[in-house]
Amino acid sequence: MRSLKDFFESHREHFSEGGRFEKLHPFFDAVETLFFIPGIVTKTEPHVRDSLDLKRFMSLVIVALIPPLFFGIYNTGYQSNLASGLPVTFMAVSLKGLRIVLPIIIVSYAVGLAWETLFASIRKHSISEGFLVTGLLFPLTLPPTIPLWQVALGISFGVIFGKEIFGGTGRNFLNPALTGRAFLFFSYPMKMSGDAVWTVVSGVNNQAVDTFSGATPLVVSAVQGSADVIESLLVNAGFTLPKLFYGLYPGSIGGTSALMCLLGALLLIFTGIASYRIIFGGILGVLFAAFPGYIIGLIYGGSSIPMFALNPFYHLVMGGSAFGITYMATDPVSGPGMNISRWIYGFFIGALTVMIRIFNPAFPEGIMLAILFMNLFSPLLDHFAIQFRLKKRVPNV
Amino acid sequence: MENLVSIFLDSVFVGNILLAYFLGMCSFLAISRKMETAIGLGLAVTFVLSITTPLNWLVYHYLLAPGALAWAGFPGIDLSFLKFIIFIAVIAAIVQALEMVIDRYLPPLYMALGVFLPLIAVNCAILGASLFMVERNYNFIESVVYGASSGFGWMLAIITMAGIRKKLRYADVPKGLENFGISMIITGLMAMAFMLFSGITL
Repeated sequence: MRSLKDFFESHREHFSEGGRFEKLHPFFDAVETLFFIPGIVTKTEPHVRDSLDLKRFMSLVIVALIPPLFFGIYNTGYQSNLASGLPVTFMAVSLKGLRIVLPIIIVSYAVGLAWETLFASIRKHSISEGFLVTGLLFPLTLPPTIPLWQVALGISFGVIFGKEIFGGTGRNFLNPALTGRAFLFFSYPMKMSGDAVWTVVSGVNNQAVDTFSGATPLVVSAVQGSADVIESLLVNAGFTLPKLFYGLYPGSIGGTSALMCLLGALLLIFTGIASYRIIFGGILGVLFAAFPGYIIGLIYGGSSIPMFALNPFYHLVMGGSAFGITYMATDPVSGPGMNISRWIYGFFIGALTVMIRIFNPAFPEGIMLAILFMNLFSPLLDHFAIQFRLKKRVPNV
Repeated sequence: MENLVSIFLDSVFVGNILLAYFLGMCSFLAISRKMETAIGLGLAVTFVLSITTPLNWLVYHYLLAPGALAWAGFPGIDLSFLKFIIFIAVIAAIVQALEMVIDRYLPPLYMALGVFLPLIAVNCAILGASLFMVERNYNFIESVVYGASSGFGWMLAIITMAGIRKKLRYADVPKGLENFGISMIITGLMAMAFMLFSGITL
């Protein structure tokens, strides 16, 4: 520890005013505060005393992201080896997963950090740890077959237009990771949706398998068919409710396992990082929006839209809804700040996700755009919540 | 009835007149700085749209459309080439009346809206709604619903924008992008999020 401190002390002069790398000061600052609490003391009011600064806050989100990350690596490798006919032992699968996922994460971090440093040096603000979260969330929402240059493009758009032009972390109004993903989704739909993108198939003995149709549960349930058979359709395709909950099925890298998201959500709620109101609101929204269709399906049988009659709990565990509600919707910057508006915000995210899955044939999954859409309305919800509070206040007491 | 609901949802969310067709941008960008004025202008635009769209429907179908003058004994006359200028005249007249009413009864709103109140007359969203109404062959009831819900969609967009700009009061935007530059980028991002509904066929 002492040698580390000496290292920072001996290099500080190069990065402080007048030094050789003065412009790179934000970078030095970011690395140093990763290890030590900064020595800066506020001289004027207000003095806020709290051990939870932005850095610890964001680090806890990273810790909460570890379960979906590790499971995502395992699952990606598992699906890939399963589809290519390779052995599915733990070691082989994990190594394969690492080989697929690690480059995506490295590109995301490297490109994003480059933009972040560039903006921080020129605009003279410090590099925020918010980026560590964005740079990890973004790859976890992508399909494993994504080309690396698209990863770079997406994270660039997310960091620049989602965050940096507004002045950096805490000043944006959309979730940067989702902004980047939505940009990729609309720019390269072929690489972001459909059947073929969710599993990496590698050739056995250099014989590449051309296409592998690894349908996701969302695609299976969107096929036209009579509604009363949708659950048996899912089960026939291998998607039972427990399997969807554990998450061992093709999908985006980190978003398949509801169980891992639940672990992360528990940690986030327990440490007070994420608002439990948003998470519960989201779950309620999903169940509430899916429930009427389920009941109608039970009583009257068929409907022209199969997903309409799906058991509401399927909506919770399949696709990215669990991941989105846990990690994306609870973003404290783009979400609302008032308690009542948090409930409403979460509820609408859940409800809109289900609505899009059912009624919008263009998108199989709705959580990404539902969160972005509600991000737009979170300042408005806060505004009206505050107005409501002010109206209820007794004047001049 | 189902038809009317689908027109409402379509013009508020799927084909929002501002975020999907980018009509009425000028006052949207200029008046969205304060929530109160944004709501005021939104209401004014909604009001004008819900009056002028059906009114223009009547004008078009009883005066301008091919064969519309049959009731006066001229079945062969086609005046539809006049629709732009006549629609604008109708809109301008309604806006003038509205301006006098607001000036008389809501002076603070009148002061806040300033030059943009008379400019509603040339707000492209208003003329756009009338022209879309003709193009899509709406009947009278549909045109009433369409006008009101387009206005509501426009109002939703401008108050959302006002909320976002309020939140961005502490944002540190690069010099070259201040005000209009950043507003255009925000509008683009908003349009991207509104694509949530694109593709829904009602």
